[in-house]
Amino acid sequence: MKKMLLMGLTIMMVVVLAACGSNNKAGSETGNSAAGGSGQISLSIWHNFSGDDQRAKTMRGLIEQYQSAHPEVKLDVQAIPADGYKQRLKTVAAANELPDVFLTNPGSMIAEFYNGDLIQPIDDLLSAHQGEWSDQFLPGAFDALSFDGKVYGAPINLSPSTILYYNSALFEKYNVKVPETWDELMTAVQAFKDNNIIPIVMGNKANWVANSTVMSVLGDRVTGSDWYLNAVKGEGASFTDPEFVQALTYFKQLADAGAFQDGANSIDNAQAEQLFSQEQAAMTLGGNWTLTDLASTASEDFLNKVEVTTFPSVPDGKGESNAVTASTGTGFALNKKVEGAARDAALDLIYTISGPDAQKAIAESNILVNYKVDMDTAKATPLFTKTYELISSVPFAPVYDAYMSSAGTEALNNGLQELMLGGDPAAVAKKVQEAQGN
Amino acid sequence: MISTMHFKRFITLALLPSLLLYAFFVIVPVFWSMYYGFFEWKGIGPLKYVGLENFSEVISDPIFWRALKNNLIIVAASILGQVPIALVLALLLRKSSLLHRFIRSAVFMPMVLSTVVVGLIWGYIYHPQFGLVNTVLEHIGLGSWKRAWLSDRSANMYAVSVPIIWNFIGPYLIMFIAAIQNIPSEIEDACKIDGTRPFQKLFYVTLPMIRGTINVVIVMCIAGSLKAFDQVFIMTGGGPAQSTELLATYMYNNTFNVYRYGYGSAVSTAIVVISGGLIAISQLVFRNKAE
Repeated sequence: MKKMLLMGLTIMMVVVLAACGSNNKAGSETGNSAAGGSGQISLSIWHNFSGDDQRAKTMRGLIEQYQSAHPEVKLDVQAIPADGYKQRLKTVAAANELPDVFLTNPGSMIAEFYNGDLIQPIDDLLSAHQGEWSDQFLPGAFDALSFDGKVYGAPINLSPSTILYYNSALFEKYNVKVPETWDELMTAVQAFKDNNIIPIVMGNKANWVANSTVMSVLGDRVTGSDWYLNAVKGEGASFTDPEFVQALTYFKQLADAGAFQDGANSIDNAQAEQLFSQEQAAMTLGGNWTLTDLASTASEDFLNKVEVTTFPSVPDGKGESNAVTASTGTGFALNKKVEGAARDAALDLIYTISGPDAQKAIAESNILVNYKVDMDTAKATPLFTKTYELISSVPFAPVYDAYMSSAGTEALNNGLQELMLGGDPAAVAKKVQEAQGN
Repeated sequence: MISTMHFKRFITLALLPSLLLYAFFVIVPVFWSMYYGFFEWKGIGPLKYVGLENFSEVISDPIFWRALKNNLIIVAASILGQVPIALVLALLLRKSSLLHRFIRSAVFMPMVLSTVVVGLIWGYIYHPQFGLVNTVLEHIGLGSWKRAWLSDRSANMYAVSVPIIWNFIGPYLIMFIAAIQNIPSEIEDACKIDGTRPFQKLFYVTLPMIRGTINVVIVMCIAGSLKAFDQVFIMTGGGPAQSTELLATYMYNNTFNVYRYGYGSAVSTAIVVISGGLIAISQLVFRNKAE
């Protein structure tokens, strides 16, 4: 019966998608209320800060702060759990019923809204607050949120995906050197395997993990960022090029050497972090989420043993040897249909939740931001401070799935699982190129 | 006569709302989905007419055929697993003593659980490092049988079939018990008078008497297995490397992960056609046997 229900829901979604094709309720409502002069403006905002973690509370607090400061604005807030957020947003986008202000990922996700002509630039907001706000972002912060020289969102976090977290106590106990080169990494893998410790724990059931946390950085080390961005666009580079096949071969080498635990493809990220915090694994690669999860679940004693560094360099690599892949972070985008007084109110809302005070509050909730903040280190955990220092001292490289198309990403995600099960790098490269090329 | 006319009109009126809802939410979308199958559509932006391209891609995609094969493994596992187990249990548990009722409830229990919960529980049972299966194998000296049950391509389709079998034995058990209890007591008496031996009674009396129910159960098994989605989606998501992909997960991943709504619609249409075909075949087989 459950299955029937699920099928029913899927079918219903199709109907809703189809039935609402030409409806633009949200926009006209906003327009009417603004023009009506009743003084009442209604705005809708969607975000995915629905959880109980510190950042979610901070973000909801900022929105409440706006609400109480602006009684004339009727705010319709929807907090949607992160797992289904992207799908929900895509569904309403297909129905042309996007909320007035909404959180979006940079790169390929916001590009789809831009290509669908659904969002508008917020340059005027940025220039109005130049000195005290928009000049304070780190270099390149707006790159993945801009099109044709216009900015469509301000990042509210920095999302590195390939920080190497390691358990320094295990490294000391088995007298292993923290790897800085490929050979040292292979030596470390062998040493931990000999002692029945998982070298690098990974939870790749949701198959984006291997891609975002390992392949992105490994690929960047081998090919360099320029090659990757060209390959995505199909300009003078292709995923079948020998350098990319070489990167996939390195990945396969890691898997074949037993760097990842048995069955890495059938446990999820949380279960992998569990193995790491139970000290059954020496290393794990991850992003800000690893930091937040460990901080909220692991013991103080364990957290003191955790150190952070960058992924090792590879021989003859064309990329920066210490780069960390990072996406510029999510930001709030503005629906194209919002105009007049409603637009002013919406810009004000965006400023409240991504302005200087917001950036500081977010950083103090243990979330890395793409912004120069004078952090009160007492408010953040020591591990967070270490990570913040590491991130501030290294160059950034693109995270693969932030730039590739959905089809290309899915092909690479599946391809990496294939490699872990003994696949052929050249065949995987070919499939990725076919999917991305379409 | 007039009252029957009124009565018929009343039946029509009473059925109308649910019929309309059914038509609107089930029948219409099936055709709508077929229509979308002719377009290339990302969910955002304009639809681009591509004719039969999506359908020919479905047929030429080896992953689609792998998904179909995996679905047939589930169908076989259901028919060969659920039906005999439910039947044997029904024969053993038809009395209504405390022990029998307890075992019946235990067998029925997984049916009450949300299938998502079933998926999560079995995900932990199969956990490669501290899962129940591997721990038990280790303790009984079969450590060499240990494996990552859900990742190992040679085992994972069978591994995901087990929870599905376990999940749905309950309702079939109830149907079999009801059917067995419906066998008239006169026949039981006749058996006693004739001095029938137990296995003779089983093969010449009980099984032929519940044959209709067995047919219904097998059709339900086929229909249910073709729709299999939730447990597998929770346990593996169709992975690793699409090795446990089912028709439904293949459709879902293409539509909602890769955002190829048109292609996903073509896959849905293929599922409708294949399901219809298999049900028709099974109906034909049973009709011939019945005659």
